[in-house]
Amino acid sequence: MTGNNQKWLDHNTFHHGEFWDILKLVEEKEKKGLKISLCIPTLNEEKTIGKEVLILRSELMERYPLIDEFAVIDSGSTDKTLEVASNFGADVYLASDILPEVGNKRGKGENLWKAIHQLKGDIICYVDADISNIHPRFVYGLVAPLIRREEVHYVKAFYDRPLNYSSGLRSSGGGRVTEILIRPLFSLFYPELTNIVQPLSGEYAARREVLENIPFPIGYGVETSHLLDLYDTFGLEAFAQTDLDRRVHRNQTTNALGKMSFGILQTFFNRLHAQGKIDKLPDLETFYRRFEVEDGVYSQIAQEVIEEERPPMIEIQGYLNRNQ
Amino acid sequence: MTIETNTKDAALESLLKDMPSLIEGLRENRETYLTDAVLLGEIPSPTFGEEDRVRLALDRFRENGLDDPEIDDLGNASGILPGSEGSSSILVMAHADSVFGSDVRHVLNVGSDYITGPGIADNAIGMAAVVGLPNLLEKLGVHLKDDLLLLINTKSLGIANLEGSRGFLETKQRPIRAGICVEGAEQGRLSYSGLGALRGQINLRLPSNYDWHRFGAAGAISHLTRFVSQVMEIPVPKEPKTKMVFGEMHSGSSFNTSPRSGSLRFEISSEDDEVVHEMETQVNELCEQYSMETGIHVMMEVVAKRKNCGIPFTHPLVKTTRSIMSEAGVTPAVDPSTGDLNSIILAGHPGVTLGLTSAENVREANESIKLEPLYSGMAQMITLLRAIDQGLCES
Repeated sequence: MTGNNQKWLDHNTFHHGEFWDILKLVEEKEKKGLKISLCIPTLNEEKTIGKEVLILRSELMERYPLIDEFAVIDSGSTDKTLEVASNFGADVYLASDILPEVGNKRGKGENLWKAIHQLKGDIICYVDADISNIHPRFVYGLVAPLIRREEVHYVKAFYDRPLNYSSGLRSSGGGRVTEILIRPLFSLFYPELTNIVQPLSGEYAARREVLENIPFPIGYGVETSHLLDLYDTFGLEAFAQTDLDRRVHRNQTTNALGKMSFGILQTFFNRLHAQGKIDKLPDLETFYRRFEVEDGVYSQIAQEVIEEERPPMIEIQGYLNRNQ
Repeated sequence: MTIETNTKDAALESLLKDMPSLIEGLRENRETYLTDAVLLGEIPSPTFGEEDRVRLALDRFRENGLDDPEIDDLGNASGILPGSEGSSSILVMAHADSVFGSDVRHVLNVGSDYITGPGIADNAIGMAAVVGLPNLLEKLGVHLKDDLLLLINTKSLGIANLEGSRGFLETKQRPIRAGICVEGAEQGRLSYSGLGALRGQINLRLPSNYDWHRFGAAGAISHLTRFVSQVMEIPVPKEPKTKMVFGEMHSGSSFNTSPRSGSLRFEISSEDDEVVHEMETQVNELCEQYSMETGIHVMMEVVAKRKNCGIPFTHPLVKTTRSIMSEAGVTPAVDPSTGDLNSIILAGHPGVTLGLTSAENVREANESIKLEPLYSGMAQMITLLRAIDQGLCES
C-alpha cells in the first residue's frame, strides 16, 4: 500500500460512532446554512419500509432536526409499500410523476436521479429500503463528513454484511459482486478506488452540485458510475467512507448477482472507453445468458439487460427552470 | 356522600371527558414511542443481561431532560420528571428483561397497524411507553404536581425473582403516592394484587456408580417423567385458588444415549401462602422418597418465592382504574400478578399493573402487537397518572 493510500484511509475513513452527538451535527449544519434531504428509493418493500420511515423520521427530523426533507421515491410498487410509507408520514412520490416530460424509465437509478429534481437539499442522502436493522446511524454517519469537511463531496457506507438466510445470519465478507467483480476491475484500472471498502453499497450521501453534474445509469451500474465519474473529475480526495457496523439485508441468488454484474460491466466498459483507458470498444451485447438444467436437459436463458443512462440533471430544462 | 367525594367524582369525570382527545393526541404522536419500542426491542435483553437495553433507556432519560438519570447497582435505570409541587412521587415502571436470549435475532417488523418481533409485547412497548412519557406529557400539555419517578427495572423474569424492582424500592427512599407497572399486553389487564408463588427447579441426577442392571433402572428422562407423575398427584385445591404449572423440562442430547441428569422448572401459585408452603413441603418429601427408593439424586431448588399481597378491589386506585378502562371501552380482566407489582405493594405502596394493547404469540419469535388499541391503552395510563396526581386514588 502506498503512503497516499494509507493517508487517505486514515483521513477519510470514519466510524459512525465518531458522530454520535447528533445535536452537535445539527448545530454545525445550521451554522453552515445547509439543508439535507433523505431519499429512499423503493420497489415492493412493504416489509421494511415502515420501520425505516418510522425510525429515520422520528429520530432525525423530530427528535434531532438533522434532515430537512424526507421522500420515498417509488418505481411502481404493487404491494403496500406506498400505503405503509405514507402511513408513517413519509412524502411519497412516484418516479413517473417527477419530470414527466422526460418520460419514465424503470430502475433504482431513475429514482435516485429524479430525487435530485424533487428534493431541495444541498446534501442528498440515499438509503436503500431493504435494511432490516435500520438505525439513525445509516444517515448521520454519511452526512456528517459532508457537514464537517468541505472538501468531501461524496460519502459511501461500508459495514459487516451478514445475509439473512432462513437458517439465520451468515457473514458475506465484502459482498460477492464487490469481491469477485468490482475489486479485481478496480485493481486493474483504478487502483486508488480499491480504498473504497464497499463500492456497491446502496447508502451514500453527496452534495447537490456533484450529483447534478454526473449521468445516472438507471439500473445496476449507478453506484459504479458515480465512483468512476467523480474520481475522474475530483480524484480520491472527494470521497470519504463511513463504517456503519452491521447491515442486515436480503440474500440474493447467484443468478440475480450474475445479472447485476452484467449490468455493471456495461457501465464499467463504457466508462473505460469514455475515459480513454481502452481504445476500441466493440458493440456490447445486451443479453445476459445463463443455463438451466431440468430433467437432464440443458437450456439457455437469455435476459435483456440494457444499462440506459440519464444525462446529468443540470442538462435537463425542467430542472434548470426549477432552479430559476 | 360527602362534599369531598362529590368533588373527586367531578374531577374524575372531567379527566374521563378528556380521554378521546388524549387518544387522538397519542395517535398523532405515536412516532416517538413506536420508534423507542423498535430501538429498545432490537437490543437483546435476557434476564441478567439487560445492560445494553438499559443504557439506551438511560440515554433517553437524559435526552428527555429528566433529573438525576442514573443506573443503580442492580442495573435499573431511573430518572425524575419534577412536578410543579413535588411533595410526593408517582412511580411508573416497566421491566427491561425479555425471555429471549442474545442468540435470538432481534429484528422487528413494522406494518401499518402492527409491530412484530421477539419481545415487542413483553416488554419493549411497555418500556417505550415509560421512556417516552416526559415527551408525550409535554406534547399533550399534561403537567403534574407530583414528581414522576420513571423506572426501567432489570431482573424481573424467571429466576431473577423481581430482584431489580425489589432492590430499587428498598433503596430509593422517596415518598411514593402510587405505582403503575406497565406491560405491553394484554389491554384490559388489571392487576392490583400479587399472588403468593414459589418457583422451583427439580434437579435429578444419576450417581456415578448407578447400577443399570438393577430392577427398574432407567435413564434420567424416564425417572423425570415418573417423578413428575408423582408430583401431579399432589392435590391442588380449588379454594383458595391454587395452580401448579410445569413450565420447562430439560434432559438428554441425542436419540440413543440415556441421559444421566435432567431438570424440571415449575411454579406453584396460590391465594393462600400456607397452601404454597404445604405444597413445597410435599414436593420436598417426594424428592426425598424418590431418592431413597431409586438411588437417584432428586433435589428441589427454590429459585423464587413471594408472598401474597395486594390492595382491595374497592381501593380508590382500583376503582378509578376501572372507571378509566370503562371510558376507554376496555373490559377489565382482573389478573393477580406474579410480576413487579409485588415489589411495589410489598414496599407499602398502592399499585396496579396495566396492559397497553392487544398481542399475539406472546413470548414466541413472531410476537406481535396491534397499534390501534395501543392509543387507548396509552391514554388509560396517562389518565390514571393524572387521577393519582389529583389525589383521586386515595382513601
